[in-house]
Order: sequence, then structure tokens, then C-alpha cells
Amino acid sequence: MTGKVNTQRSRGFWAESWQRFRGRWLPMSALLIVIGLAVVAILAPAIAGTKPVICKYKGRLYFPAMGYWKRSWENPVFFQDQFYKRYPENLKEKDPLSWAIYPLVFQDPFRRVRDGEVEGQPGNQPNAAPNGNNWFGTDQSGVDVFAQMVHGTSIALLVGFVSMGIAAVIGITVGAFAGFFGSWIDVVLSRLIELVMCVPTLVLILALLAVIEKPTIWHLMAIIGCTRWTGIARLTRAEFLKLKELEYVTAARALGVGNVAIMFRHVLRNALAPILVPITFGIAAAILIESGLSFLGFGAPPPNPSWGTLLNAGRTNMDSWWLVLFPGLAIFMTVLAYNLIGEGLQEATDPRLRQSQH
Amino acid sequence: MLIQINSSQRFLSGSFGRECLAGICLAVCLLSAACEKSSPDESLLAESASHGAEPAEERETLIEPFDPPTLEELDAQVTWIDKPVLDAMNVSREDQEISGPPSATVDEALALRNDSFDANATIVDALGRLPADDQAVNWESQFLRRLEGDVKSTNPLMQSSTVESEVLKYFSVYLHSYDWNMKPFGNANYVETWQTSEDGLYDKIVLRDDMVWSDGEPMTAFDVEFSYRTIMDPAIPIPAVRTGTDKLRWVQAYDERTIVYFHREASATNVWDMWLPLVPRHIYKDSIAEDPTLQTSEYHVKYEQLPVVGGPYKITRRVRGQEIVLERRDEYYMHQGQQVRGKPHFKKLLFRTILDPNTALLALRTGEVEECSMTPDQWLGQQPGDSFDKLNIKASGLQWVYFFIGWNCQSPFFNDKRVRWAMTYAYDYREMLDVIYQGLYEPCNNLFHPDSWMAPDPPLPMIQQDLGKSVELLRQAGWTDTDADGILDKEIHGEQVPFEFTILVAQRPDRIKCCALLQESLDRIGIICHVRPVEFTVLQQKNRDHEFQATMAGWGTGTDPYSNENIFATEEDRNYGVYSNPRVDELFAEGKAMLDPVKRAKIYGEIAKLLYEDQPYTWLYFRNAFYGFNRKLRGYRFSPRGPYSYGPGSDSLWKSAAAVSH
Amino acid sequence: MISYLIRRILIAVVTLILITFVIYGLIRSIPGDPITVDMAQSDPSRSLSPEDRKRLEKIYGLDKHWTIAYGQWIGNLVRLEMGQSISRKLPVARLIRDRLLPTLLLSVSSLLITYILCIPLGLWITVRDGTVGERALSTGLYMLYSLPSFVAALFLQLLLSVKLGWLPLMGMVSDDYEQMSLLGKTWDIFKHALMPAACFTYGSLAYYTRFVKSNMMEVVRQDYVRTAKAKGVTPVGVVWKHAFRNTLIPLVTLIGLTLPALLSGAVILEQIYSWPGMGSLFFASIRERDYPTIMGLTLVFSALTLLGQLLADLLYAVVDPRVTYS
Repeated sequence: MTGKVNTQRSRGFWAESWQRFRGRWLPMSALLIVIGLAVVAILAPAIAGTKPVICKYKGRLYFPAMGYWKRSWENPVFFQDQFYKRYPENLKEKDPLSWAIYPLVFQDPFRRVRDGEVEGQPGNQPNAAPNGNNWFGTDQSGVDVFAQMVHGTSIALLVGFVSMGIAAVIGITVGAFAGFFGSWIDVVLSRLIELVMCVPTLVLILALLAVIEKPTIWHLMAIIGCTRWTGIARLTRAEFLKLKELEYVTAARALGVGNVAIMFRHVLRNALAPILVPITFGIAAAILIESGLSFLGFGAPPPNPSWGTLLNAGRTNMDSWWLVLFPGLAIFMTVLAYNLIGEGLQEATDPRLRQSQH
Repeated sequence: MLIQINSSQRFLSGSFGRECLAGICLAVCLLSAACEKSSPDESLLAESASHGAEPAEERETLIEPFDPPTLEELDAQVTWIDKPVLDAMNVSREDQEISGPPSATVDEALALRNDSFDANATIVDALGRLPADDQAVNWESQFLRRLEGDVKSTNPLMQSSTVESEVLKYFSVYLHSYDWNMKPFGNANYVETWQTSEDGLYDKIVLRDDMVWSDGEPMTAFDVEFSYRTIMDPAIPIPAVRTGTDKLRWVQAYDERTIVYFHREASATNVWDMWLPLVPRHIYKDSIAEDPTLQTSEYHVKYEQLPVVGGPYKITRRVRGQEIVLERRDEYYMHQGQQVRGKPHFKKLLFRTILDPNTALLALRTGEVEECSMTPDQWLGQQPGDSFDKLNIKASGLQWVYFFIGWNCQSPFFNDKRVRWAMTYAYDYREMLDVIYQGLYEPCNNLFHPDSWMAPDPPLPMIQQDLGKSVELLRQAGWTDTDADGILDKEIHGEQVPFEFTILVAQRPDRIKCCALLQESLDRIGIICHVRPVEFTVLQQKNRDHEFQATMAGWGTGTDPYSNENIFATEEDRNYGVYSNPRVDELFAEGKAMLDPVKRAKIYGEIAKLLYEDQPYTWLYFRNAFYGFNRKLRGYRFSPRGPYSYGPGSDSLWKSAAAVSH
Repeated sequence: MISYLIRRILIAVVTLILITFVIYGLIRSIPGDPITVDMAQSDPSRSLSPEDRKRLEKIYGLDKHWTIAYGQWIGNLVRLEMGQSISRKLPVARLIRDRLLPTLLLSVSSLLITYILCIPLGLWITVRDGTVGERALSTGLYMLYSLPSFVAALFLQLLLSVKLGWLPLMGMVSDDYEQMSLLGKTWDIFKHALMPAACFTYGSLAYYTRFVKSNMMEVVRQDYVRTAKAKGVTPVGVVWKHAFRNTLIPLVTLIGLTLPALLSGAVILEQIYSWPGMGSLFFASIRERDYPTIMGLTLVFSALTLLGQLLADLLYAVVDPRVTYS
């Protein structure tokens, strides 16, 4: 019975997982939502802003809206000509031949739009309910909520990745080494985990804010990441302890595969499932943590148009429901999306599921 | 498959591991033994108390040795001038009578909504009156108040925060008080006569003879002398209570009722130096030697919890971090069967510690507290028909607390007066006053309020935002955009320095907003301003160490404008921005020595003008006081130091015996 | 087993010393000290003279280098003395003791409710995976998760306390607590604890349910489960008798992990509800730079955390027959 042996190369772990992930509609739509949010984040200055996306002034083309990304990208000619950052009237005044294309919504995430800045649009009222000019209303200072949320999307998306990225990398590495090698490495690393677990995050954050000259939200998130890896480490360690005795590990060793390769190419993929839970939750939780820090007074310094600070601003006045509803909905959507992706990832990468389908 | 955890502990199962552990433990023990041992009573407190039990009279003291003359000698050589000794309540009552009958009846006022300046004036006028007669007052009522933090100590010598002074006022003894206009007078509840010497060097006080502490012991002049010595005892961790008291030369109690204060020099501020809180001598005279911290020994802890007091109320219950309950002392206003003092209006006072301002407002709405200060947001956030109006009414008043942006005059950015003026011209005041504070705060452009007696005359002009002027001033000071990057720069010590600085601010949302407004205003003219919210403690520390470029902070008002010397004179304690103007220093010295009030006002007006010209601060606004009061309360009046910090202050509140209208 | 325990405890002591050392160095390096706070809050017309400041520093032990001060603290600790709180004028041990019970009340009840709710929910979700009901429930739990606790707290206060008056607004006991009977006292504390405990718990429901589910999914695919199903065991029996026990290891890990957060993580809720717990004490002490209290609390938190880890490790031996200690 000499049957033909299937010599086709297997597609590889990640390709196969992606294949399976694609097949499920719920995680895919979640992924699309996240991609959509990323697009919004990148295009934020074009969606909401008070600087023209593109304008022609004194014969040359400029892109002042890039100033939202980096200050120096907003051309200094506008400063020299004393625009004082008010474009609509100044452009017309100083060069009647100029034209400009403004963002979709003429609102600024950092300041209140005043009366007379642009024709046909009155200045923002503080604490205004959603209306034609302020789709999501304004906060207590009159800053438009929609603009803040759009510009805060990049922070919302990235903040979780920064903190969880750091936490995951440290946690998985430490947990893997501790669980796989056992013996004194496990002892030392376990004690390290306990040590870091006992350090109160509040003290670290305070120390950071007191010492660093210009703290930003990324500093805060880095600190959060550096203290949250302990949970992931313990979980990883538990999984590795369990899995390292399995046959395929012994087989790999017999084949001469190095320890590190075994850990991260063979064992880790099987251990991924339970670890994904804290990671996906953690990414979404970062925004909530930022909101909590805002409550305690340690929020990131202005200008910081993040969803978390909006939520915190909304709690003092429950009558301004729009300050709680819109950021809350956005956070909820993000939480849902990340977790659905996480679930999808889990099912796509779990080799045991693969087995059970045969 | 047996997974043996002990394999992971192999390192320690060996003898080597065990020895390692033992070694570490030994090292720890040795280390702790090598460090100075402190006795269990003190722990982190130093050995200053270990000198053994000394009689109180021989303790080390900060008072310089002095040989006081006898009373007869003193009376012979000195001419005494009588000073006013008044009952604060009567002062307030006369004040109100002078201002005429109330503009509305109580019921009319209660029916109003406090949504305009006029409505507020009517409400405060009508409801702030003292009771017409004894029948109007509900003498058995209780008053539920809110505390913003925990009362750390009930010992008046150890008070270190405003929270404590709120509570301490009810049971502490103060021989002096000051009225609505901050004019001092002797407290008629304790003092019979008060005389000052003509040369201003001595003050003589004769106490009344009908005062008792809450344990029955009579209050005497020896308690005053003892309190003075205790404050000046270096071994006791007295916080800032010692300020002012240390300027006294000596305090001598000649008999049970007579005290003379000796001053070093004649000065208008001497009267404030006499302001020292009293503690009972018979309780503490022997226990200090053994425990100078006043808070460690069992004996002292017992009296911390329920102290012996001399004021109108006594503490009956104290749960740390939660509440304090005070009850009226009958022996305060009754003496040998006769009423000798005004009866305190409430039978019971309950202070609740509520940290969160939101929760406090909710508690006000449900009636769990009956007074609460409100933020501008909360003040404006009340809607008609809210449950707030069922039980409460809003009232606001003027307060001379101002907020400012302080510039570090040593920084290369702000050492030029023109740059500081440029900052002042760049700031968008209208936005701050109209939008951030919703028109609730008054604009401020110098350190004295226009209504105060020391304000400059004519009043100094308010500044409007003028970006063009700001840019011009900066250009004159050397700041232009030489490298065409949209940011101003200047050559300093051979290097092109961009105008980029950081402003420190406390972690309060409204103040952060003000700084964000500064950031926005400066961004328009090419200056980068980083806003850095820091903890209040860190802010204080950095301010003191002059480690900042700009800072936003506020000052309340002291009782005497001389307290500003500390802030603006060269190299003084609170001169955080290292501002220096010799003429200002001269004027402060003149103002201290000058006794003629008209001339004093002129001197301080001149100081204000000079400071305005130099702009070491960019003055922002005066923060008024906003309170919610229960509808049954009456008698609140707002002084420049708030509704409670003057005479009679919180004592003037009372509850109506009549039924309340809604 | 005993020698393992002893080893763990000794190591824990070393860990505690290390942690307290690091934390002490950290808080001493932050600008500001208890005297700064004192001065800051006084009457503006009063300030501390430099000589007085030096005297206060000496009394509070702040004039020495922090390593020496730390050594003193350890020395006192060995004598079971935690020192005197600088700002509150009370022994630290007493402060902590007063706050331990309220904190435990909140944390333990929250933990219990979480486990009682999440395990059945998680199991149910596993069994009904993919159905509309399960999706709806999961989505509902995520919605709860995305609502920050302070928003929910305010909302609950407004609804249940101000509008309906069913529950007290804040605090742990009512004004007339002392006069109540034992039953009355229990009921009073229960009413006060309900809202804080609810706010503390609801957020973690989503997390633990999903955690249980992800572990169960893995187990349910195992061969022995298929065998059990083939043998005719009911779905409930499969889940409960065979599958669930094998997910206990990660669950036990979770117990060890959740303990630290429970103890110090309630700062926000304790502030809102005026709940006299250790979290708000910790926060306030840091603000006041009350070093003895901070150190005392750090010690207590760390000790309880390490205890939690030890418990988790011991429980491993109970739930997983493959694990032994010797």
C-alpha cells in the first residue's frame, strides 16, 4: 500500500491561524472596526480641526493641518504674517487670491472656537448639548467633544498597545523562562515577580510625575506596563510548567532544537490561549486606567484630548450626559472589538481546536 | 507525569541555600542593631525627649532671658491707652443695624433662586441677620457641617491646616478677635480690659474671673503664660503656630487675671503677635517633660481624643477620618446660676469628613450636611426643580483670595520686565473669566482688592488681551523668530534659545484649564508653554526651592497687609519668584512702623502700584466663596476671609425656630 | 511540606525587606516632606522660620540620610513597633488596625461575589457558546466593563440614594450606629457596603467570566471530555465533573493575582463613598508625605500579597495532582 505522501509544505502556524481567523465574521468585523478607528486616528486633522488641510497662499501650497501632528510642520510663514493661528479671516485678508480646504468639522480639540472665527458659525457655548455645530456637544470649557474624541482616537488606540506591549513582552519572557527551566531560575524569577507585584503603582507614578520634566501620557503608560506584567508572567509560568513535560518538547530536544527556540516556537503557541485574556483586556483597560488617574489628579498634562479625560470631566455634572455617553460608547466599542479579536485569535491559534476538527 | 515543585527549589534544598538565607537574616539583624536605636515611645521621632523628667520650668526654651518688671513698676512708668473689648456678636449686630432693615423678608428671600448678583445680595442680606430675640432661635438644634479632610489634631498648638481651624474655633479660647474689616478687638467673652502702652511696647490684658475649663478647673492668666512657654519650647513639634508668637519678647502673668505682653519694638503688627491659642496648664504642665511630642504617651493620646477645652463647645465623640461631634458647654455661658455670656446657638455640631466634592454636594441635597462649599461648576449646575432647592439655598460672597501666574525673575526668560508684561498682554482674560469661570469670579490685577482699605487710589487699570502689543514688547526684549521655525528665540550666552518653558500648577482641573489657556494664548504668538500639573506638596517644594520657570498659585489674605512682606520683599520666605525691588522693601518697613492708618493705606497703595509696574505676578482673578446652606440656617455673612474666619464668623449662624417655607 | 513553607516564609521576609527598602528610597526622593505640607496649609500670614523647620526635621527624623532612617524603621519593626504617624498623631499600627476591617469587608465580599457569579456564568457561556443568548450576555458584560467605576458610583448614588432613598449615601455606619442592636448593626453595615461592593465588583465580571470560558474551551476539546460525552455523560455532568476541575489551576493563580489589587485598588471608590479603608489612607499619606504610615501600609499590603501568592501555590498542590511539594 504505497499511497502518495502529501509533500506539500504546511502553510506555517501564522498563515493557518490567519486563514481560520478570516473565516469567522465576528472577529473580522471587530478587526475592521479597529482598522476604521486607526484610519480615523490618522486622518484626524482632516476630520476635525481649525487649520486648513490644504491651502494656497501667496502662490504656494501649504498643509497647515499637519501642525496637529507636529508643530514644526505648520509652516512658519503663517506666524511671520501674524495669523495668530486664526486662518479663515486672515487668509482672506492677507491674500484675496488664496483658497483653502478646511476639515470636515471646523472645531478644535484643544480650544474653544470663538465667535467670528469663521463665517456662519457662532462660537461654542460651554456645556452645550449636541447641536448642529457641536455634534457631540461641548465640555465645560466650550471645547468641542467630537473634535476631542477624533483627535483622542490615536491616544486611545496606542495607549493600550504601549502599556500592554511592554507588559506582555516582559511578562511572557519572564514567565516562560521561569516555567520552562525550573530550578533556581524559577526561584529567582518568581521572587522577582513577587517583588514587582508588591510595589504600589501609585508611588511609582507619583515619583515619575515629580521627577520627569515633561511627563506625557506615554510615560504614564510605560509605568503602568512595567507594573502590570506580573499577572501575565504568573499565568505564563503556570502554563509552561504544565506544557514543558509534553512529548513534543521532548521530541524537539531530541532533535537538538535549542531551548529558546523550543520555548518560543513550540511551547508558547500552545500556551497562548489563557494569556490572551489579560492581554486583550489590558489593552482596552488602559483607557479606563487613564480615566482613573485623571480622577485622582494624575492625568496627563494638557493638551490631552483623550476619551478618559472626557469621561472624568463628565462625572462632575451628570446633566451633561453627552460627556459620559459618547466617550463611554467609544470605550465600550473598543473594549468589545479588542476582546472579540482576542477571542478570535484564541480560537484561531489554539492547536487543540485544530485537532478537534479533524 | 509527576511535576515536582521541589525540583525548582533544588537550589535551596541544598545546604548552601540554607546557609545563604541564614546569612541574610543575620545581616539584617546586625544592620538594625547598628543603627541608632530609638525607644518605643518615639520610633521615628528623635531623642530630644530622652533628657529625663525635668520640671517644666527648667526646660530648654527659645525665649531669650528677660527680667520682667513688677506690675507696680510697669504701671508707674507706662501710660496705658484703652483698647476696645467687644463681643463679636454685638459688633456684628450693630453693623447690621447700621446697614438698615433687610431688603426682603425671610420668606421672600427663601423663595428666590440665587441666579443673579441681586438675588444673591437679597438672600445674604435677609438670611444673614442675627436673631432679633431669643425666641427666634431654635436652641436645641444641631448643625451638620462638612469637613474637606481629617482633623489631624485637636490640640490648638498643633493645628496645621484650615480643616483644623474650622473645628478648633468652636472649642478653643482666643483672647482676641477681628471683625469683618479685620480690625482687632479684645474678646469680651474672656477679656475684661485690654490696654496698650503709649509707646507701643506693652499690652496688658485683664481676664474675666468666670471662666472654667471643661473639667471644672478655672481658667487663669497662668494658662496664657504656660501656653506661651509651651509654644516656645523647641522640643515640641509646633508647626507654624509659632510664627508671630516668636516675635514677642516676653509674656508674664502677674496674678490670676493679669497678663502683660512685652514687645520688642513698636509696630502696627504687634497686636497679631499676641494671638496665641491656649491650652490648660493643669493638664499639660507635668506631662510635657515625659512626652514633648504631645501625641505619643497614653495620657496625651487620651486628651487628643477628648481634650479639655475652654470654648463654647466640647468634643463628645471623635472618629478619625469620619466625624467629630461637639456639644454645647453649659458652664461656658452659665456661671454660678447666672448667664454671663451669649448662649451658643446650637446644642450639637456634627462635622462629617467628606473628601469627594461630588459626594459632599449630594449629601447637601439629602440633608446629611447643612453647609458645603461649592465649585463654580456645581454652583451653576443646579437646575430649577432640583432636589437641591427643597432643602437648600445658595449664597456667595466676596473673598480676598487671588490667583496668579508667578514668574521666576531669575529665569533667563522672565528676568526682563517687558517679557512679563508681554505675558500679561498675551493672556486671554475674557475667556478665563467668562468661560472657564462662567462670570463667577472677579478680575484681579494687583494684590489688594479694590474694596480694601489699602487698595491703590485711583484703581489700577485692568489689562485686555493685546497680542500685537505682546509681540512688540517681546521684540523689544530681544525675542524674535530668527530661524523662521514659528517659535520665538533669542541669543543668550552665545546660544540661540527658543522660548519654551514649563508652568507648574496644582492638580486642580480649573487651574489646569487656566494654564491650558495660557498655553493656547502663547502658542498664537510663537511661544511654547508646557503645562505640568504636580502634586500640591511638590508644587510647594519646587516653589520654595525656586525650581520653576512659571507657576500658578494663589494667596489668601492675612489679617494685616504686612503679611505680604513675606511674599514680595527681597529674599523673603514666600518670595518664590526671587523678585527684588529695594523701594518695595523700604515701603514695607515704613508700613510696619507707621501707626497712622491713613498714611499706612497710602504706603500700601504705593507698594501695589510698584508691583503692578513690575509684574512679578500676572494677577488673574479673585476667588469668591460659594456655599450651599440649608434653608433653616440663618446668620451667615461673608468676610474677605470667608464666612467663618472672622469674629463672630461661624458663631453667628443659628437655626430658626419657626417652621421652614419651601 | 513544612520545610517548603519555612523556606517560603524566610524568602518572603527577605522580599519584604527589599521592597520596603526600595519604596522608602523612592518616597524619600520625591520632592516635598511632611513639613512642606504643614506649612503649605497654614494661614498665609504664618510661615515656618528656617530654625523651626530644622527643629521639626530633627524631631521627625528627617535630618538624617534616608538609609539611616530606614535602618531605624527596621530596627523598630523588629521590636514590633510601626512608629507614629506624622500627620495624624496616632500610632501607625492603630491607624491600620482601624482600617483593616473595612477594607477586608469590601475586598472579601467583592471577591466572593465575583467567584460566585463568574464561575457559573463562565460555565454557562462555555456550554452555550455561539448562541444568541451567550453573545448577548457577553456583550452586556463588556458594557459593564467599559463603564469606569467612578461614573457608575455617581450614578448609583444619584439613583439609589438621592432619588429613591433606599441606600445610604456614604460612610460605613449611620449616625446612630452605637445605639443599634447587633442585628441592626449588621444590617446597617450591609446597607452601607452594598453600593461600594457592587461598584468594586461589576467591572471584573467580564474579565473572570471570559477567563473561565477560555480555560474551559481548551479543556472541553480534550480527549477525555470526548470520551465522557461518548459514554453518555450529560453535558452538565461533563462540564462539572470532568472539565471544570482541570481549569482550577489558572483560577487559583487568579486568586493570588487579585488579592493585591483588592487591597489597594479601591482608592477611588473609598474616596467617593467615604469608606474608611486602607486605600484612601495610603493615598492621603502619600500626599502628606507621612512616611511612617506609608511604610506601614506598604508592609501590610506586601505581606498580604506574598501570603496570597503562597496560598495560591499551596492550592496548586490541592487542585492539581501532578503537583507536589517536598
